[in-house]
Amino acid sequence: MTEYEVVIGLETHIQLNTKTKIFCACKADSWDDEPNTNICPVCTGLPGVLPVLNKAVVEKGVLLARAMQSDIRMRSFFDRKNYFYPDLPKGYQISQYDMSLASGGYLDLPMPEGYTRRVNIHKLHLEEDAGKTKNAGKQRLIDFNRCGVPLIEMVTGPDLRSANEAAQYLIRLRQLLRWLGVSEADMEKGHLRCDANVSIRPKGSDQLFTKTEIKNVNSIDNVRNAIEHEVERQIREVEAGNRVHAWTLDWDEEKNELRKMRSKETEADYRYFREPDLLPIELTQAWLDQILADFPELPMQRKARFVAEYKLPEYDADILTGERNLSDYFETAVQLYAGDPKKVSNYLMNDILRMLNESGKTANQLQLTPAYLAEILNMVDAGQINTSTGKSLLDKVEQSGKSPAKIVEAEGLGLVSDDSAIRAVAEKIVVANPKEVDAFRAGKETLIGWFTGQVMREMRGKADPKLATKILLELLKL
Amino acid sequence: MSEEITIEIFNHLVSLAALELDEKQAAYLRRELNQQLKAIHELEAIPLDVDLKITPHGVSYTLETSPVLRDDIWLPNPNPDEILAQAPKVEDHYIIVPDIPHEKLD
Amino acid sequence: MELCDHAAHQLLNLLRSKQISAQEIVESSLQRIATVDGRSGSLDSGEETDQDRQSVHAFISVTADHALDQAKKIDQKVSEGEQVGLLAGIPFSVKDVFCVKDTYTTAASRILANFKAPYTSTAVQRMQDQGAIIVGKVNLDEFTYGSSNESTAYQPCPRNPWDTSRVPGGSSGGSSTSVAAGEVPFSLGTDTAGSIRQPAAFCGVVGIKPTYGRVSRYGIIAFASSLDCPGPIARDVTDAALMLQVIAGADSRDSTTANLPVPDYLAILEQDVKGKRIGLSPDYFQISYMDVESGEIHQRPVHEEIRAAVYHAAEVLRNMGAEIIEDIPMPNTRYGIPAFFVISRVEAASNLHRYDGVKYGYRTPSAEDDLRVMYRKTRNEAFGLQPKLRILMGMYVSAAQYSEQYYNRALKVRAMLRRDFDQIFDHQGKYRLDALLTPTTPTTAFPIGDVYGDSVLMQYADQFTVTANHAGIPGISLPAGIAADGLPIGVQLLGADFSEPTLLNIGRAFEIGSQDEIWRTQKPAVLL
Repeated sequence: MTEYEVVIGLETHIQLNTKTKIFCACKADSWDDEPNTNICPVCTGLPGVLPVLNKAVVEKGVLLARAMQSDIRMRSFFDRKNYFYPDLPKGYQISQYDMSLASGGYLDLPMPEGYTRRVNIHKLHLEEDAGKTKNAGKQRLIDFNRCGVPLIEMVTGPDLRSANEAAQYLIRLRQLLRWLGVSEADMEKGHLRCDANVSIRPKGSDQLFTKTEIKNVNSIDNVRNAIEHEVERQIREVEAGNRVHAWTLDWDEEKNELRKMRSKETEADYRYFREPDLLPIELTQAWLDQILADFPELPMQRKARFVAEYKLPEYDADILTGERNLSDYFETAVQLYAGDPKKVSNYLMNDILRMLNESGKTANQLQLTPAYLAEILNMVDAGQINTSTGKSLLDKVEQSGKSPAKIVEAEGLGLVSDDSAIRAVAEKIVVANPKEVDAFRAGKETLIGWFTGQVMREMRGKADPKLATKILLELLKL
Repeated sequence: MSEEITIEIFNHLVSLAALELDEKQAAYLRRELNQQLKAIHELEAIPLDVDLKITPHGVSYTLETSPVLRDDIWLPNPNPDEILAQAPKVEDHYIIVPDIPHEKLD
Repeated sequence: MELCDHAAHQLLNLLRSKQISAQEIVESSLQRIATVDGRSGSLDSGEETDQDRQSVHAFISVTADHALDQAKKIDQKVSEGEQVGLLAGIPFSVKDVFCVKDTYTTAASRILANFKAPYTSTAVQRMQDQGAIIVGKVNLDEFTYGSSNESTAYQPCPRNPWDTSRVPGGSSGGSSTSVAAGEVPFSLGTDTAGSIRQPAAFCGVVGIKPTYGRVSRYGIIAFASSLDCPGPIARDVTDAALMLQVIAGADSRDSTTANLPVPDYLAILEQDVKGKRIGLSPDYFQISYMDVESGEIHQRPVHEEIRAAVYHAAEVLRNMGAEIIEDIPMPNTRYGIPAFFVISRVEAASNLHRYDGVKYGYRTPSAEDDLRVMYRKTRNEAFGLQPKLRILMGMYVSAAQYSEQYYNRALKVRAMLRRDFDQIFDHQGKYRLDALLTPTTPTTAFPIGDVYGDSVLMQYADQFTVTANHAGIPGISLPAGIAADGLPIGVQLLGADFSEPTLLNIGRAFEIGSQDEIWRTQKPAVLL
């Protein structure tokens, strides 16, 4: 039985999170709006209108291109891609054909199995989105709200070798897009759309065989599912002696099956030519430097650095470089705390993450700032409060926005380290519990924990437990 | 003189252009296209390897004379309904067009 | 002399010195329209009548009430001593490709017969901001495709005021007619291959194609986006300069406008032209034409009368101190039309994609259940022959397999034409010209019906003007004589990018130098 290798290339469309559309000043995000309310003459292609390029689109494109290690063109051109479709008001899409913003580059995917897959990027280009259509009986309903939203299209080489790798690509890409702040990359909202080109070949071959295109898959799980199904189908066909045809397929997520789509003009000639209403995009060195001045350390590099510099386990480092706000929070807290980063990491991975999940906030939105967290940790280290007080402070600071020190003072949460106060209570406990005292003196040394507990209870948890134990031992060993 | 745009090519162009023509118009247009192509063939005297930079516009723009790019600031259209008012068929704020009837697929 | 026959700058003086009112000016304009215009162009206009053949039909729509209303407001302001604009009270007409909010903008096509733009084009807005008053929208070749105005879907088409059996030129035929017939002092037109300059020459008025990017294209229904230039048509150079002053300048809504300050066009208008170097090129005195039998392109000399008019203009300028330099080589002139056939059609076909019956304009009543049928029927029923011709040629020459052969070659021609002009205008070059003086058109206005239908011959009417569109440089057409057939002859001045001040200056000098010539006393037939 022949063994087959899977060959997958992905085409992603990324919706940028600029405030406005690429060629007009309508909003870029109109997810919740009534149809045809976020429109203007330019994005609806009225007679006589002209496109005007949004500077932020170029800047976000450059950030992404740099992150993908692509070659950025200092001069790139817009081109018209001509075809008829009701959601395309001008009858052409302004896109970039042969001289796009960037070309080349790659994304490395560390796979859970332990190897890294490098995915090459052929091309990265800017373009405008079309509107939305939906069917209603024999009619189509058209909404132009989304028309003109800025998109980046990225095309990979046929470098992925499994549905899992494809899923990983999307996961990493989504992480990177959010990390860079260029897209919300929410697949369910269409911020990240993916078409997969899938083919199979006998293992060991380096030929490329006929591929099918799977379109409109709207979640990472669906991408994985759809590709797996398609691979199985292709293998079945080939084993049965049939050829694979260059179909375009649609994934029905309810039925969990692939459907053949009506083939558009598969050999469509879009008659590309330079967009005469726009000048070429001219990136000067000064502008490029300005855009890249705050280019962030990317997740993979930061993860490696966390492991090396902070001696964090890979698992922790992975979580702490998953999302940029959390990651920046961690690093700031570590630097302010100046103690063991693992302590900070524990707080983040447990309490802080829980807080974020429950509230839906991002780490930069917490009232419990890195500085406050560091303060709490320092206070525990210095014995001013005990660990459980420390934990309870997390929520208190987050709710009130007040500094830990203020809350400790206001609520009297500070550990009592006053020797005489503890001694007084300890003496009281010893006197009140002769049986236990005898048991202890008789050899049941573990009772010290019980005694300490009693003192703590009496002092409502505010005693420094170590000191309490020390004093009790003194009293008991008399 | 053989015609460059044959009837087949012409009909293909008509369908690409989303037009449909009556016979008289088709004949006239095809004839004029072929006449124009004769004039266009004058261009064959231009060697392709002429080392001349092609630009999308005749005038040249410098960095100083090029318009500044647009700032990313939202300017809502105060009257989007004026645009909808131009559409031939609107329902519930959607623009309505007929669908493309689906062919039966296997 | 009627008020409406005065130049705008004269009317402004009279208005400012309170000798006349804006209302009187507008009334005079409307009166002239009523007298000479005849039926406005309309769809389904029926048979042509004898009356039609005597009228000029410049307008598609006249907005009399609105115009009088605006005039009243201006008179009110003037009487109260308030500031009014540079062109306050002056009526003008607008080629019906300029969107004007809440009016119909038809592009002289059935497909936009019911289109009301929710915005106003920048050029019109600037005129209105300076107090100029729109009197109506004037006719044009459908979608500006043509050089005679005959292709309009709004018949009767405009007729040349000098001889109503002749075309006024195109595509801005309505603009040039309305100015030549004294209906308005100036008009806003567009020029893609000569559509301002050629009708200006045919009608004996002044027309400017500004440098590409000098005037905003926002709000103008596009023909060929890399070639279209909005500009003024006026009775004399001073008026043309005045209008250009108002409409020129960068526009944040048009990414191809030049970020360059607008000079004061009136400041140096009357300067002398001593030492100005003006060139004459033999390549502009040869007409290219297609031999009917062989289909080959041949050349023959331009008509002697036209050549004489240009040389006479050179003489006048020489007498005013300019240097005339002959034998300027412009060898690529002959490729202007072939290249235009390709480039303009590629862009036009694309620009017409949006007329699909979905969002605005005409939608066929007869295709309820198939989108593709809706597209085809809509476009077939509502586009005239000329748009169809341009779309089909555009589809053909832009196909991927022909891009090298046709489109890229044509773009090379554009670059070559540009280089030719750069070389002659180069201040460090061999010729160091301030301007090139040429005929505007190969012939005077031809009879209605004579050329229409022969699309090659019609396009070649633009062979002397199209070169400026390819190169992007400015050009001005000036009336320079009347031919034996009683029709105006125009001469053209071409200059380097943004040399409008120089061209206007030389044009004004020619006006002054020829002001006593007999032909300047002749009037168009409709005004006799």
